Amino acid sequence: MAETEPEPIDTQPPEPGATPLQAVPNWVPRSSLAVCIAGLVIAGYLTLEHFTGATTFACPQIGTINCVKVTTSSYSNMVGVPVALLGLLYFGALTLMCLPAAWRSPLPFLRALRLGSVTAGLLLVLYLFWAELFRINAICLWCTAIHILTIALFTIVAITHALSGPLRSHQP
Amino acid sequence: MTNSEKSKVAAQEKVARLRAEQARTERRRVVIAVSAVGAVVVLIAVLVVARLAGGGGPTTAASGSSSASASAAVTSAVSHVPPATLNAVGAGSANNPPTAITAAALKQGGKPRVLYIGAEYCPYCAAQRWAVAQALSRFGTWTGLGQTSSSARDVDPDTATLSFHGATLTSRYVSFNGVETTTNQPAGTGYQPLDTPAPADAALMRTYDAPPYLPSGSAGGIPFLDIGGVYVSSGASYGPQLLAGKTQQQIADALKNPADPMAQAIDGAANAITAAICKTTNNQPAAVCAAPGVTAAATTLGHG
Repeated sequence: MAETEPEPIDTQPPEPGATPLQAVPNWVPRSSLAVCIAGLVIAGYLTLEHFTGATTFACPQIGTINCVKVTTSSYSNMVGVPVALLGLLYFGALTLMCLPAAWRSPLPFLRALRLGSVTAGLLLVLYLFWAELFRINAICLWCTAIHILTIALFTIVAITHALSGPLRSHQP
Repeated sequence: MTNSEKSKVAAQEKVARLRAEQARTERRRVVIAVSAVGAVVVLIAVLVVARLAGGGGPTTAASGSSSASASAAVTSAVSHVPPATLNAVGAGSANNPPTAITAAALKQGGKPRVLYIGAEYCPYCAAQRWAVAQALSRFGTWTGLGQTSSSARDVDPDTATLSFHGATLTSRYVSFNGVETTTNQPAGTGYQPLDTPAPADAALMRTYDAPPYLPSGSAGGIPFLDIGGVYVSSGASYGPQLLAGKTQQQIADALKNPADPMAQAIDGAANAITAAICKTTNNQPAAVCAAPGVTAAATTLGHG
């Protein structure tokens, strides 16, 4: 049986404050950035509608589908801040964190911040979805689009985080 | 086996162990990540199934919002209910009309003053605002009306409504002060404060939102309405549940249809409030105060 030489493992010590990472696949920065930009656009639209009184909402009112009811409900603000604006800020921050350069960064803080942010966003989405179903009794299609994007972003970031976790081979 | 070969084998075994450990760690991380995503999907499915199975329910959750600007369409629909509709409704299905009091005239700028004290969280205020706003629109023009909903954790949760916070009525016949004491955002055991009534207005409420002017059961209640020091009312003229599940636009649009139960209640209450205001304006404008719907509702006004 022919022996094969084992491939070398990266044994370079990390930069100070940095964690050695496996490179993320190309599709990760692309897809996450696309999701963030889509979220940014929709959240921007919802924010605009919030501050203009939801006068031009492109959203049907069929059965339980009712964007105005949701976006003018008592759940449309959190601690005095419009949820739509929170969404805009959220996707704005995530857009920066999902730039290709940010994905290439080995800084643990940035990775933790990205993962923490998408997790927090996911929890908020679950809360708001619950509120739509059980308290407001209406579904906002634009909000649902935001929810789907948030879950998609969480999926991308969480799985990428798992796949590109820190290598331990630099240990002596 | 030479020492060199032994050391090579040992190195290969070490590399293999490291790789296996690395693979295990990676697998564990992926399993955790995929499980988290799967749990989210399952949780969403459970929520949807629970909702479809009829699990709605009462409100105990945190809430939070102040008003946004009412849309131009809503403001217009409230302010331009066809006179024929209002005449057809008359007193409608509204109850709890304003009651006459004997008090000093309430005036501002030489005009009778209408004072409203309520709160954005309050479901009865949510119901009554529609009638108050519509009645006052017959004497002037609204700017800055808000659009909000009652508290999600009170009875008749999230009743769609307007807000008088920051609203202005431009009128040659009456002046208006709308006080919304809180938002619908919970804060501690109550709600976040919003407007503070002037001390004189708070004193008016203490005096006239109580027996003998109003039934003891409604003492201190909101919404409180003082119409020129001539009529007062406390509470709503119809049940907020009539508006359940409706948006501001749906409610506003319903006001023009005299057969709609919302129009029967809101237009009827608006006619009664209009009749009370007319008593303070010497029945001006005549086109409003002499309208059959207003005169019909005037017969329901309380006599204190």
